[in-house]
Amino acid sequence: MAVLTSYGAYVPQYRAPLGEIQKFYGRPGRPRSRGLATPGLDEDTLTMAFEAARQALKGERGLGAVITATQAPPFGLRKLSQTLGRALRLDDGAVNIDLGANATGLLDAFRIAQTLDVGPTLVVATDHLVSYRDRVADVLSAGAAAAFVIDPGRKAEGIAELGPQSRESVEAYDVWMLGREQEPRFRMEVLFDAYAKATSAAAAGLETSTERPTAKYTSICPSQPHPQVLRGLAKLGAQPKQLEATQFVGDIGNVGAASVGLALCLGLDASRKGSTLLALAYGGGESVAQEITVTRKPKSIGTREMIDAGEQIAVGTYYRWTEGRQQQPH
Amino acid sequence: MKVGVLGVGKTPHKIQHDKSLKDLAVEAGRKAMNDAGVSPQDIQMLYVGNVGSVGFNYENSTGLMVAHHLGVVPAGAVRVEAACGTGAWALHLGCVAIASGLYDTVMVLGCEKMNDLATVEGTSIIAQAADSKEEYFSGLTFPSGTALTARKYMQTYGVSEEDLAHTSVKNHYYGARNPSAHLRFECTVDEVMKSAKVADPLKLYEVCPMTDAASALVLCRPEILEAQPDKPQVFVTATSMGSGTWYQASDTLDDAYNLFARPAARAYEMAGVGADDVDVAEIYNSFAIQEPLGIEGLGFAERGKGWQGAEDGSTWLDGKVAVNPSGGLLCKGHPLGATGATQAVDVVEQLRGTAPEGMLRADAEIGISACRGGPGSVGAIHIYQREG
Amino acid sequence: MTVSAIEFSRLGPPKLHLFAMKCDSCGELSPWWERNHCYHCGGDSMQEFELKGTGELTNYTVVYYPPREFLGQEPYVVGHIQMDEGVNMPAPVMGVDPDAVEVGTRVAATLRRMKLGHEGDIYYSYKFVVDDE
Repeated sequence: MAVLTSYGAYVPQYRAPLGEIQKFYGRPGRPRSRGLATPGLDEDTLTMAFEAARQALKGERGLGAVITATQAPPFGLRKLSQTLGRALRLDDGAVNIDLGANATGLLDAFRIAQTLDVGPTLVVATDHLVSYRDRVADVLSAGAAAAFVIDPGRKAEGIAELGPQSRESVEAYDVWMLGREQEPRFRMEVLFDAYAKATSAAAAGLETSTERPTAKYTSICPSQPHPQVLRGLAKLGAQPKQLEATQFVGDIGNVGAASVGLALCLGLDASRKGSTLLALAYGGGESVAQEITVTRKPKSIGTREMIDAGEQIAVGTYYRWTEGRQQQPH
Repeated sequence: MKVGVLGVGKTPHKIQHDKSLKDLAVEAGRKAMNDAGVSPQDIQMLYVGNVGSVGFNYENSTGLMVAHHLGVVPAGAVRVEAACGTGAWALHLGCVAIASGLYDTVMVLGCEKMNDLATVEGTSIIAQAADSKEEYFSGLTFPSGTALTARKYMQTYGVSEEDLAHTSVKNHYYGARNPSAHLRFECTVDEVMKSAKVADPLKLYEVCPMTDAASALVLCRPEILEAQPDKPQVFVTATSMGSGTWYQASDTLDDAYNLFARPAARAYEMAGVGADDVDVAEIYNSFAIQEPLGIEGLGFAERGKGWQGAEDGSTWLDGKVAVNPSGGLLCKGHPLGATGATQAVDVVEQLRGTAPEGMLRADAEIGISACRGGPGSVGAIHIYQREG
Repeated sequence: MTVSAIEFSRLGPPKLHLFAMKCDSCGELSPWWERNHCYHCGGDSMQEFELKGTGELTNYTVVYYPPREFLGQEPYVVGHIQMDEGVNMPAPVMGVDPDAVEVGTRVAATLRRMKLGHEGDIYYSYKFVVDDE
């Protein structure tokens, strides 16, 4: 049984106006997010990971492993986890694992952390999706990071236990990138069907292994609360109040691998001893669901405040800051 | 020590897109030689001050280039560099050359062409005259580094931004009267306070522009000048150089004071005069705060009070000592390698009585030029005297 | 201000670690670039001394005309920070309103992208944010 001992999150302070961006490209429809959390010029997935990890670690250094999950590492050839570990002044010799992940990456990392036997493990999901031109209005590109410390040896000080996972994957050409292409390709029509199929099946599978109905979780923490996902969950008996505390995509956009992490941080902030959280991630045809049981009321890290706080930036500023990033490392 | 100033010459100080570094240097050199009544072959050694030609102009070895184009070959020539104190350093080496007895007539020339590149490039190149890779890794530049000194001065002595603004008002009053200055407009305290921020608390009218210019002096053994009584008898009577910290982080107000005070003490002794004897002073002020600091370092005012003369008139043209009656670097600009030489030319013209009306100090007999460089790294003091 | 990858590896800025230099003779701390000589006592042997990362803002300026590497981030605050261990050093301070900066504010170090080296690498190092702990 893996124990969660602490967590942290980082949401950049700038908000780009999605509505104006859509207008600029003549894209119809109501913007699906009020703003896009945009990392500043001196930030990227590594610096955001550092901020989230700093909050989660609060001075702790004796980590045995660092696992990072991102779709946008700054370096090829050099591990994000290794660089993060050095910046956090961890002892050399920690196990460094980079997951080149989609939005399910954080839960994959949890799965690995549950089996590693090296002492406390820092798991960080950090992402900055940048998509362009006609794509930008469809992929709600934004950046953020969420960090978790998993330590099976510290049951007494833990705040939650990571329970079983359930996975379901469907063959879907919804979102994909070829090799090291700069921008994702996607088909919206396929995307929503795949969301519904995969997430419902993963949640249903979890009901079987945990014997806990979906409707009985205190909070559901989905990576993307798309209407199709919510419809699928509703069929399993989920209620709107289970999603009240954990919604954020409509405020700051899709933050890729960090999405389910932020949802989880929101769920933890609002939880008490005995609360149960259903982490539900979807990416590229696969969905992962995990049961998390809160054993001690955590001290809120203020994730909602980070999301609500935000300094508006102009459309031009957004483009100036993100334009070069596709050619440069994120 | 006594070194004769046989001739001086300078180009206009402003943006000159039609002139190259070469053009500027040749223009200044020829003016100085004509004024001195010498030909290029009379020059026995050439010291050329230039700071950033590798960055600004993609060229190097300015001394050798100028020697060729001025026709000074086969006399020796060398490039001199000491950050913003370069022109004064070239002057010092010229004085030492004469005082050593090895040379009769030498030329000192400072030149810089800064406007071939955009401001951000220029700022980055200027920053190389500090530890731009390490200390300025923090995002500091020369303006912002000096801004930190300004704030420290204000906090330590309880001086306000309005108090400091008077310095710019005075400099701009005289800059408007200087035909060869880059900026030629007067301004009020209110206009200084409202001018755009550059690096808080420094505002646009408190920082110098980037300028293209060259200035030159022909120096000689005193007997050579004395043998031509129809020429104005102006001599350099002290040359005193010192160094200081390379780092903004280490530059305290005491360091800023000592940067001038130490070499100034030696210079006053060399020239046999005191601070009270000085009629006119050109004090380095690429940023306005450096003028009060320089006034204090030269002994014209107590520590923390150097800014007051601009408000009460005692550092204006007819005050106790005329400080920067040329408009200072704030109006003349700061063509890095030329500035120290320009200051010397300007003091000499004051002592000769040939400075333009409206900025000419009546009956000036003793003058001083004080130049500095780097974050706090160069202090250069020269004293000049008119005889007869 | 651009440096080659080799030079950066050899003697560059603090990169991922925030440290000062401690004099073997007098024990005083100097900023990390004073590797060769102690400005306090003239000593010539210095050792790296790791810093916790917290300190107090003792002075600041706001830069409106940046160098190349900071283009697009202006106006930004550069402060003199008195680290808790006793050394004073300049560094950018992020996330503060330029009109509301106050001397005496407690700050803490965090990691940021500093610049792209001209051989294409990314140089990370420390900037500071307001320490609200």
